[in-house]
Amino acid sequence: MANINIDSRKDRTYDAIVIGSGISGGWSAKELAERGLKTLVLERGRDVQHVKDYPTTNLYPWEFEHRNEMPYKVREENPIVSRCYAFHEDAAHFFVKDKEHPYIQEKPFDWIRGYQVGGKSLLWARQTQRWSDFDFEGPLRDGFAVDWPIRYADLKPWYDYVERFAGISGDRDGLPELPDGEFLPAYPLNVVEKYFKQKVEAKYSSRKVIAARCAHISKPQPIHIQQGRTQCQNRTLCQRGCPFGGYFSSNASTLPWAAKTGNMTLRPDAVVHSILYDGDKGRAIGVKVIDRNTKEEIDFYAKLIFVNAAAINTNLILLNSRSDRFPNGLGNDSGTLGKYVAFHNYSARIYGEYEGLLDFKTVGRNPAGGGYIPRFRNLHRQETDFLRGYAAGFSAWRSSHADRSGFGDDLKNSLLNPQLGNWGVGSHMMGETIPKASNYVALDAQQKDDWGMPLLKVHIDYDDNDEKMKKDYLDTLEEMFQEAGFTNIRRDDRWQAPGLDIHEMGGVRMGNDPKTSMLNKWNQMHAVPNVFVTDGASMTSTSTQNPSLTYMAFSARSVDYAVKEMKKGNI
Amino acid sequence: MDRRSAIKQLFVLAGGMMIATSCSTNTNTASIALNNVKFTAGDEALLSDLVDAIIPKTDSPGAKELNIHLFVMKMVDDCHSPEDQELFLQGLSKASGLSDKPMEDRVAYLSALDKDDVFLNILKQRTIQGYLNSEYVMKNKLVYELVPGRYDGAVKVEA
Repeated sequence: MANINIDSRKDRTYDAIVIGSGISGGWSAKELAERGLKTLVLERGRDVQHVKDYPTTNLYPWEFEHRNEMPYKVREENPIVSRCYAFHEDAAHFFVKDKEHPYIQEKPFDWIRGYQVGGKSLLWARQTQRWSDFDFEGPLRDGFAVDWPIRYADLKPWYDYVERFAGISGDRDGLPELPDGEFLPAYPLNVVEKYFKQKVEAKYSSRKVIAARCAHISKPQPIHIQQGRTQCQNRTLCQRGCPFGGYFSSNASTLPWAAKTGNMTLRPDAVVHSILYDGDKGRAIGVKVIDRNTKEEIDFYAKLIFVNAAAINTNLILLNSRSDRFPNGLGNDSGTLGKYVAFHNYSARIYGEYEGLLDFKTVGRNPAGGGYIPRFRNLHRQETDFLRGYAAGFSAWRSSHADRSGFGDDLKNSLLNPQLGNWGVGSHMMGETIPKASNYVALDAQQKDDWGMPLLKVHIDYDDNDEKMKKDYLDTLEEMFQEAGFTNIRRDDRWQAPGLDIHEMGGVRMGNDPKTSMLNKWNQMHAVPNVFVTDGASMTSTSTQNPSLTYMAFSARSVDYAVKEMKKGNI
Repeated sequence: MDRRSAIKQLFVLAGGMMIATSCSTNTNTASIALNNVKFTAGDEALLSDLVDAIIPKTDSPGAKELNIHLFVMKMVDDCHSPEDQELFLQGLSKASGLSDKPMEDRVAYLSALDKDDVFLNILKQRTIQGYLNSEYVMKNKLVYELVPGRYDGAVKVEA
């Protein structure tokens, strides 16, 4: 029997384990496998293989039982995920349903999750802007959180590296607050977005409207063809999974690439319970997994562990990894684990109409979504009564309308001959929020889920700074809309819970000082040098830019460092 | 038994069970399987006439020919609240006298309903939705492109 156990343990031993197969885990897996490490990728959800497992991808609208609308009963039973903009019949199978995975909301928090191979990389909004030193120097300049242990120069080569592989479209706009990258051609602004750009940039020297940068292949390069991906076909049905691999996902890109090396083992249905720690060695030695279906407990072993479970679940796993040495969660000497969670404030939008340029329309669909207004508030110096600032989306569309008032022949004729109306214009805010100890996640002492994991308590809220920033966004955008001659301007400041932005970050933050942070400048645990966290949990502050591209760059950079350290015998 | 408790009981009974199938031999049930609402064969026939009153056959198919009444039933059954389902059935019941009437009477009846009438709004909105999203319209009239393969943000509108 003893021999069998030894063999079995050997079979369950790898060079590296990656927890999570989403946008950051896919990158960790690819980089580790390419460097020759036998790599086990653990994914708590089911397998989703590129194209084969996109059941709705080629369906026409009439082929959906409810024309893409979610049934009443599903919405009633799942109020949280039903608030997500992409939760419809065509992609519902890629979202976690509320009932299946409960958590405790000490304050309202819409936790949107995708439990399957590829995670939320199948579902993301694909906006990819680099962060800059205006972001990395923010906490130091403005006196919150802790200083980032890195600067833009540390990350720049890794942005270059991941952008070339992922395929990022954008213009080289020459803005220090939004550094240029290794871009494929941008999806240009449409005629009214361009008009708005001219109006804004003529009036306000510090404000720009640029083409949104996104993870779509506008012009495939050999590296994309090698991945089996090709040009984006402007379907904008991305949430279904793309048969062309037109946008970046783990499923289309990093995971198949890692598999091709022969070094990756992907194990779906593996719910990670905790990271195993050996106090004598002072190292993590593996990962305890609960099989999703059988509930069987299995330990896997490795010299190197990358935690990429997505921000909140990374916190959960680390909090649940308790040992004599770390009674409050793995690596938690500082007491900061689970704290300083932040997000993006998406709680305001503004709409209007434009009655000019009516001799133009658009044809086809824009996968980039339109324009992007980089942060201009408090950029070079503090100029308002709130800290930090916001970026904003901006887009214009020209839709057709039909008079629906009648019945019979008149109605039918009207429906079949829609008339072009005014241009619609809209913007949404993406505000930086300030990480605070009082915004935290923690384990519940009693309640557990079906896999024996303690339920997570979420205690995250807006504050006065967010409210002031939101008002400034609405006032400022309204003024810019007026300046452009837009009419029928409608401010929409309907409240939404934190989390619905799906940009939750922090809880396992990076920092220079082990007394006040969990990870060093390499995303390496101060206290456990063979554990790395490179997803949203590691973020010290949130910037205003979309974060996924930065997680990719951090993952690639950390693997490069970790493997070098391993070869030197330091890990 | 009033309608509300009847419907409540129906929910308890239904629980995801198929009430009827397309090959049902019971002539008093709808021709499609529904989860929640019990439409009769008569309801189905009446709805087919009402959707045709909203979008009639002209030189192209009308809503009845495109089976939009089945779509309306499906959506009422799955996508509306129990309260709206009840109001819809009440509205349908009130319209039952239209079965044998000419098209003009049906149009006149619908036109005379209050603009906030729940039955009318569901019926009309779902009929229009089902029609515009039908395979026929999306292939032949207002063509839907699954794979546009392009985006042009400044196309001159032809006068």
